[in-house]
Amino acid sequence: MRTEIQLVEAAQAGSVEAFTDLVRRYRDRLLRFLLTRCASYADAEDALQDTLINAFRYIRSYDSRWRFSTWLYRIAIRNAAKLHAPDIVEIGDLSDEENDPLMHCIADSESENLWISARNLLNDEVFAAMWLRYAEDMSVNDISKALDRSASWTKVNLMRGRRVLDAEMNGTKEESEAYG
Amino acid sequence: MDKLANRLRQDADNIEVAVSDELDHRIAASLRSVTPEAESVTAPASRRPAMFWWASSLTGIAAAAAVIVIVNTQQPAEAPTPTPANIVAAVPVIDWKTETATLTGQLQQELDDLQSDIKKAEQKVREDIGL
Repeated sequence: MRTEIQLVEAAQAGSVEAFTDLVRRYRDRLLRFLLTRCASYADAEDALQDTLINAFRYIRSYDSRWRFSTWLYRIAIRNAAKLHAPDIVEIGDLSDEENDPLMHCIADSESENLWISARNLLNDEVFAAMWLRYAEDMSVNDISKALDRSASWTKVNLMRGRRVLDAEMNGTKEESEAYG
Repeated sequence: MDKLANRLRQDADNIEVAVSDELDHRIAASLRSVTPEAESVTAPASRRPAMFWWASSLTGIAAAAAVIVIVNTQQPAEAPTPTPANIVAAVPVIDWKTETATLTGQLQQELDDLQSDIKKAEQKVREDIGL
């Protein structure tokens, strides 16, 4: 079994198979992330396809000093931003549960999924930072790179996001500024 | 890991998503039609030290500040704002149809007076010296 670096090198040489192997472990996670930003499941699938095509097209510009997942998420975020209107829905606009693709993918749980609340309470960039930190276990530096933001911006907004979601989780009213 | 982080991780895991076979085939087909683009040529890194940039910036800021100070300290006394009436009064009215003789008449008179004065002065000098 080839390592990630070997797969990257093979993909840079033009191997579709190597690239497919390379992104296989990230596809489901990327789709889950894109699903939080799209109006429908089909849109999320299209966004994933565009992300992977762009990643393969520009694989030779990948800098191995970055983690591959960080680079991939950066493309996904940029791609989602390009598709922002009208396919990608502003976070907070998905109040109609029947049409919300994310609601259909959430397993039954005793409590409400906190990411639904996060999407309503945080702006899309802070939401993305929170997702990359807590759903993807990315470091602050990697999140900064993926979002093209400074490390201090990332730290501050992660802290703010945490405060808002902590209040939401504990049922206390967070009277902070609207994040935007 | 704290309670919030645990909850967020758990809730993310509860979002059940998987790439379908159909999407998988679609992506594979799309990828086969794509060729990786040649790596873009990036500009070589500057050999100038970082201090050069700072020194240039500070010099620029200092120059801009000096210009601002000079411009603000050498402002001329504020001239009275001309009103339309003042402007009309200040502009000489020239009768462009006036004959040339009319325009030079006063100067010619002045010249004649001066020549007359010179003659009188010359005559007086001659009398004084007994010529």
